[in-house]
Amino acid sequence: MPTEMIAALMFGSLLLLMLTGQRMFGVIGFVAVVAALFLWGDRGGHDIAFSQAFKLMNWFPLITLPMFIFMGYVLSESRLADDLYRMFHVWFGPVPGGLAIGTIVLMVLISAMNGLSVAGMAIGSTIALPELLKRNYDKRMVTGVIQAGSSLGILIPPSVVMVLYAMIARQPVAQLWLAGILPGLMMASLFIAYIWLRCRLNPALGPVLSAEERAAISTSEKYRLLLAGVLPLGIFLVMMVPFILGYTRLVESSVIGALAAVAASVYKKRMTRQVWETCLVQTLSVSCMFLWIILAALAFGAIFDGLRAVEFVRDFFITDLGLNRWQILILMQLSFILMGTFLDDTAMLVIVAPLYVPIVRALEFDLVWYGVLYTITCQIAYMTPPFGYNLFLMRAMAPSSVSLADIYRSIVPFVGVMILGLALIMIFPQIALWLPQTLYNP
Amino acid sequence: MPRFLVAYVRWVERFNWLFGRIAMYSLLALMGVMLYGALARAFGSPPIWTDEMAQFLLMGYFMIGGAYALQLGSAVRMDLLYSRWSDKTRALVDILTVGSLLFYLIVLLWGGWESLQYALEYGERRRGLWRPYMAPVKAIMVLGILMMILQVLAFTIRDIARLKGEEI
Repeated sequence: MPTEMIAALMFGSLLLLMLTGQRMFGVIGFVAVVAALFLWGDRGGHDIAFSQAFKLMNWFPLITLPMFIFMGYVLSESRLADDLYRMFHVWFGPVPGGLAIGTIVLMVLISAMNGLSVAGMAIGSTIALPELLKRNYDKRMVTGVIQAGSSLGILIPPSVVMVLYAMIARQPVAQLWLAGILPGLMMASLFIAYIWLRCRLNPALGPVLSAEERAAISTSEKYRLLLAGVLPLGIFLVMMVPFILGYTRLVESSVIGALAAVAASVYKKRMTRQVWETCLVQTLSVSCMFLWIILAALAFGAIFDGLRAVEFVRDFFITDLGLNRWQILILMQLSFILMGTFLDDTAMLVIVAPLYVPIVRALEFDLVWYGVLYTITCQIAYMTPPFGYNLFLMRAMAPSSVSLADIYRSIVPFVGVMILGLALIMIFPQIALWLPQTLYNP
Repeated sequence: MPRFLVAYVRWVERFNWLFGRIAMYSLLALMGVMLYGALARAFGSPPIWTDEMAQFLLMGYFMIGGAYALQLGSAVRMDLLYSRWSDKTRALVDILTVGSLLFYLIVLLWGGWESLQYALEYGERRRGLWRPYMAPVKAIMVLGILMMILQVLAFTIRDIARLKGEEI
């Protein structure tokens, strides 16, 4: 059977089996082992699936994955960010749309302390959302703000998505994280600019804090609240400073970060037995889910490598369709976003990377730079209906006055802003690459 | 449902739960090992065993924890259609497609078993300074895959019971 037939067959059966709703890792693994047995069954093809486990084990930065997931849960379950929200509330309240802008800044800070968007979502929808709604902020804008803001969690380091990408693309995690910083801040600024502009044009969307409410907060209270920022900053510094100075490695820093978060919540007397239990159970549940899917996806990817399917795809685009490499890249991102609207996010994460990364490498693009594009596209996929991780979280956590239709409509302008950001980084790769290149090639 | 099948489900789930809980707490051991390594290095005597120990612990964490995570219902499914079906339809479709999951896990077990046998027979050691034996970690991996298979079978028995209108 010709290669392209096998590849197409593998993909077709993968999608078909996924539609039945069987567990994702099983479906991916099944298609992989059947293909392996069919292609190399006489030469130990059955071994491919298991040997991927050693790839996982030998990839040292993988240890950061459960650590950052744990840290995120400690942060959101023990409600460490509540005070932080108060701070932004008080300081940004007097500006039109200020509470929404403050929420974005809050999300940036939370993103710097955890690797997924869950913590940001939890804090945003349980604390920020009710407060903003109470102050007559437009609910469609507010839900969009929280979803877009929390999605920065995977772009601003530490980022779990980038750890996974780094493993598949065989790129250094530290460089990828550095590459994520400026695009993350740029994205946050774009969100803020958008909110500011909208509220300027239509002040009803984000009314300022009323005079009596502002008067109720004394000046000393205002400055005392600034201290709330010290704790997260402390966690971040304890984690990152030894790493940057070269005392610890990335993995060790992630452990220190997780322990610092625990210490902070104990200090704040928020670490109850219940919180501790939830954090541990959720971490196990999410980490295991990720790792079993990656295990299966690695087998799938290994077979694609063995088939040399990438060369076929590249030849098809360049020779048969006569496209240049930029057109292919744009086409790839478009298909990625399109897939993101109807495929599950976790599936996207692990199927798209093994498939696209070799193509990007064959097209001789920088893989660190592509990592940033990839992560932003994941962010978009997290938010786009009908299947978005954040959408579901939002529906589960938001008060009932926010309907699903509101949530769907709320993300449209923010997805637009994100696509703009994506385009900017494509046109100016320096936005992503300047920081890692300056720090690594002095 | 026959009594022995109900007993099977109960025992398997209890066993997987217990081992899963142990794996869950091993995350703390992983933290301890990494922290000890970092501290010892800072004070000038880098231990040779911490990195690999941490990798082994992570392997155990997710291999042994896998079955417990399945019990917690964390496995991602594509729910385009799945979310719209009734519990009975879900049970039926799961019974029909569970073969694919089992097949994958059995091939995984096959590879793992051979790898474990090799490690035992030749006293395989990992390269590097510490040179730990590979058999223990491989045994843990094989055990984890086996626990996954047992758990998936338990789910299938539950599904069959659900189709017959019983709940285990």
